Amino acid sequence: MSPETSALLRRRIEETAARYPKKGAALLPVLHLVQQETGCISAEEEKFVAQALGLKPMKVREVVTFYTMFLRRPVGKYHLQVCSNLSCILLGAGPLLEYLQKKLGVGVGETTSDGRFTLSVVECLGACELAPCVMVNFDYYGQLDREKIDRILEGLE
Amino acid sequence: MDVKVLTRHFGVEGLFRIEVYRGLGGYKAAEKALKQMTPSAVLEEVKKASLRGRGGAGFPAGMKWGFVPQNVPKPRYLCVNADEGEPGTFKDRYIMSHNPHLLLEGTIIASYAVGIRSAFIYIRGEYEAVALRLEAAVAEAYKDGFLGDKILGTDFGLDVIVHRGAGAYICGEETALLESLEGKRGHPRLKPPFPASVGLFQCPTVINNVETLSNVPSIVQEGADGFIKKGLPRDGGTRIFGVSGMVKRPGIYELPLGTKLRTIIFDHAGGMKNGKELKAVIPGGMSAPILTADEIDLAMDFDSLSGAGSMLGSAAVIVIDKETSILDVLKAVAKFYSHESCGQCTPCRIGTSWIHKIVKRLAGGEGEPDDIDTIIRLAGNIKGKTLCPLGDAAALPILSICRKFRSELEGYIPHA
Amino acid sequence: MPKIFIDDRAVEAAQGQTVLQAAESAGIPIPHFCYHPAFAPEGSCRMCLVEIEGIPKLELACSTVVREGLKVQTRSPKVVEARKGVLEFLLAEHPLDCPICDKAGECKLQDYFEEHGLFRSQFKESKEKREKKFKLGRNLILDRERCILCTRCVRFLNEITKTEDAGVLNRGIHSEVGIFESEFIDNNYSGNLAQICPVGAITDSDFRFRTRVWFLESRESVCPLCSRGCNTIIDSHPGFPRLPRGRRVYRIRARWNPDVNSHWICDHGRYGYAYLDEGRQDRLVWKKGSRDTGLSWDKVAGILTEKIRGLFLRGKARRIGVILHTNLTNEELFLADRLFRKGLGIGGLLVADPAPEKGDGFLLTADRTANLRGLREIGLPFQVADLEALSGLDLLLLFGHYLGDAAGPADLKTALNKVETKALFATHKSSLDSLVDFVIPVPAIAEKSGSLTNIDGRVQHFRAGLDYEGGPPEWKVLLDLAKKLKVDHRYFWPLDSPSAVFRVLQKEIPFFK
Repeated sequence: MSPETSALLRRRIEETAARYPKKGAALLPVLHLVQQETGCISAEEEKFVAQALGLKPMKVREVVTFYTMFLRRPVGKYHLQVCSNLSCILLGAGPLLEYLQKKLGVGVGETTSDGRFTLSVVECLGACELAPCVMVNFDYYGQLDREKIDRILEGLE
Repeated sequence: MDVKVLTRHFGVEGLFRIEVYRGLGGYKAAEKALKQMTPSAVLEEVKKASLRGRGGAGFPAGMKWGFVPQNVPKPRYLCVNADEGEPGTFKDRYIMSHNPHLLLEGTIIASYAVGIRSAFIYIRGEYEAVALRLEAAVAEAYKDGFLGDKILGTDFGLDVIVHRGAGAYICGEETALLESLEGKRGHPRLKPPFPASVGLFQCPTVINNVETLSNVPSIVQEGADGFIKKGLPRDGGTRIFGVSGMVKRPGIYELPLGTKLRTIIFDHAGGMKNGKELKAVIPGGMSAPILTADEIDLAMDFDSLSGAGSMLGSAAVIVIDKETSILDVLKAVAKFYSHESCGQCTPCRIGTSWIHKIVKRLAGGEGEPDDIDTIIRLAGNIKGKTLCPLGDAAALPILSICRKFRSELEGYIPHA
Repeated sequence: MPKIFIDDRAVEAAQGQTVLQAAESAGIPIPHFCYHPAFAPEGSCRMCLVEIEGIPKLELACSTVVREGLKVQTRSPKVVEARKGVLEFLLAEHPLDCPICDKAGECKLQDYFEEHGLFRSQFKESKEKREKKFKLGRNLILDRERCILCTRCVRFLNEITKTEDAGVLNRGIHSEVGIFESEFIDNNYSGNLAQICPVGAITDSDFRFRTRVWFLESRESVCPLCSRGCNTIIDSHPGFPRLPRGRRVYRIRARWNPDVNSHWICDHGRYGYAYLDEGRQDRLVWKKGSRDTGLSWDKVAGILTEKIRGLFLRGKARRIGVILHTNLTNEELFLADRLFRKGLGIGGLLVADPAPEKGDGFLLTADRTANLRGLREIGLPFQVADLEALSGLDLLLLFGHYLGDAAGPADLKTALNKVETKALFATHKSSLDSLVDFVIPVPAIAEKSGSLTNIDGRVQHFRAGLDYEGGPPEWKVLLDLAKKLKVDHRYFWPLDSPSAVFRVLQKEIPFFK
């Protein structure tokens, strides 16, 4: 982490933590903050956050490994998170996932060699009326078929 | 009669902006409550309205508020449960994106009724865009004096903090939500003590679902009687039914409590898609036991559904067609609970994983004759024996699928 | 005092007790894993579910507080079925390690499985594969396949040592106990983790693969390595008949004492037992006598008695020196005072002790002897032993080998050479052995009975936790000398055991009442 990033994050962590009765309660929002800057939460970030919030690094790691959105390894520029829950399965999430694996040449959990796309499988995204659904970073795309997903991927630089 | 309470103005452009919301009469209920009613009068009205929780458990909101002790020298907290993790459910996303001020108004009135000065909106991490919209609405509310100190010139003040989760269904369970809000793993707590006495930071806490709170302005404005009339005597108001699966028009439908399931699927949601036939329906989110095509003449209210061995839950209707293998349904269910188990207690941690392993083996063509009985037995060892309701949420649907669709499942076993 | 009914038996419970605690106090054990009396109820193993009349769902015994009239069933068919269910879940993902697992014979999973019928597994799937030799601590190895996630270890480090070294990582079936990076557990209480782990997940490298617990004899003792006096259990093997090896201590465990050490002992005491078997004095030695048979303590006592009487009658009692130490029991220090100071009028008693070190702020004290407080309360006037104190002595009775720490070997040799008769009563071999005339082996605290006074003034009585066939315990040495010398005949003659001595001690010194 560069000194600038570290200083910026420290300020934002302090602002965030100040809104809670106890500093440690800000851990999840703080981890989101940090991940936004650094891309993932490795041991270095865990120690940094622990120190900033007055927690033991182990307590930070317990949290990082519990929640699926905290990434311990970097992902590609576009994290394609395919919903695999019931409504999406009913409307073709299975074949959609297979298509994406073939198209991108990666398996689930893997990143394309150019570093652009990581393919993951997630549980219900809360957009079942738009099944089948894929969340790209934080953007929801629904009612997908092959053509639609092709167009979306083309549109991502 | 226009029964719409929550989605009444959804078509209005810019509804999420405070000036549009206020232009349509927004925040008048809050004003009425704060200036013309005492906190206990508000509480009584909500109790009278038979407003039951819209998150899944259906606990009467007014009663829950009444459990909070008023004489304990500790701060009281309100947590808005916006985790919306129950598969099939997306209604709160609509309320928060289209009408965030409705939620805020309900939050203000509820906090006033219980003497709460700090409210946290715990919103699932994936709803980033929704969280940003909520934060913008909160900022607007502060600016216009509906949040902060001395709201509308009264002595009542409230702070609202939007707090994002990070991908854990279990954090929709109220005590796991509290743990997560305290910056820890989402491990549910033993009850008793209940959050009303020992909750967030060990202080008395109320946890309510987004839709539940969003109904509160209407109760204050139009009175409990008006609210009850929109639904049933023991189940006041409307529900936002979220329909998904193999229907022509998936989406949200705000309808009176007591509407028939058949009406929801075949009238409002347009019936089966692509000429398919109905096989099964999950009526209240994945944790609700499955219903066969013969059972859809049920009224969609808490009591009718629990009487039929299922539950209204989050009112998320998932429609399954005959061309879908029930094994795929079972696989999705078993996978979900196994992935979302927090891992604290033995039956859920190991039981959901064991069942998932059996179902995967079944789906891979290597099922054995006693597998269905084993799944039923294991689910029975989870049911009623876990630390939190996720155990039952896993066991009951799995049991219902195994019982109601047993012969189809056995068809996948080579030597059955 | 709420009266409750457990398995149709009336039980008087204490206010605020849980059903589990009330049952255990009444001698009705309820199976459990995650519950430990030192921590608040956890409620996660689900093993202690019981049936309570009037409640349709089974309830946890560990967290249900008793109320008047509560009716509990701990063995009904519903309860047994629930327990078997939990066992079945645990065993499904548990490795078949019993043949190579140290915990065998003292493992709760084994014990409960046996109680519940040794049923066949119906798990046909692949078990989760996890790391089996994870270095958790300085002396601790974690086998994640065996771990049942009771979290006792995590809670110990959170609540007792407050070091928060361990935690639970990941979620669901992938949950595992872990530490941060390689910051393995390295505090003075880590050994307690292997003791509180209900299964063989955390094993102690000190004990790993060394023996089977069913070969061991377990006896109560008190740790003598500092002034706390933690209560212990010594696990030893009395000696394999066909192996050329005698008694051997394999392990020290903590014994519960709510007033002294709660459920814990420190690593210094837990792992510091080699001294019991190694470097011991093995026989009576008389430099000037013949090496063959006929030498016994009685004979040596006779010789020493003659010399002491001789000096006393010639008015040279001040030329008799006695060096004591504070690892002697209350009874022994008391006898030394009454015999040498009061009885023989020897001026100054001397004390040579191991040097103090740092305390750890919890159990381990800076003082590293067992009975300093006893010495103070008995009021024995003393000086610290040094070389000057040895000048002018004709006879020296040296208890303990700690004098060797007081000066360099050459100076010590010179000083001791000037004393005509020297008798050493020691547990261990040391450089002093070649500098004295008589060496009498004596038992360690673990090998005799008596009492010690800990740093808080608590008098703890103990019996031998190990058998010892070396020489006489110091209390017998002192009584034999007193009786042979015929000092204060009526006083010493009836005394024949540490408890008899303690009764006199109690009468004479108010502190010990």
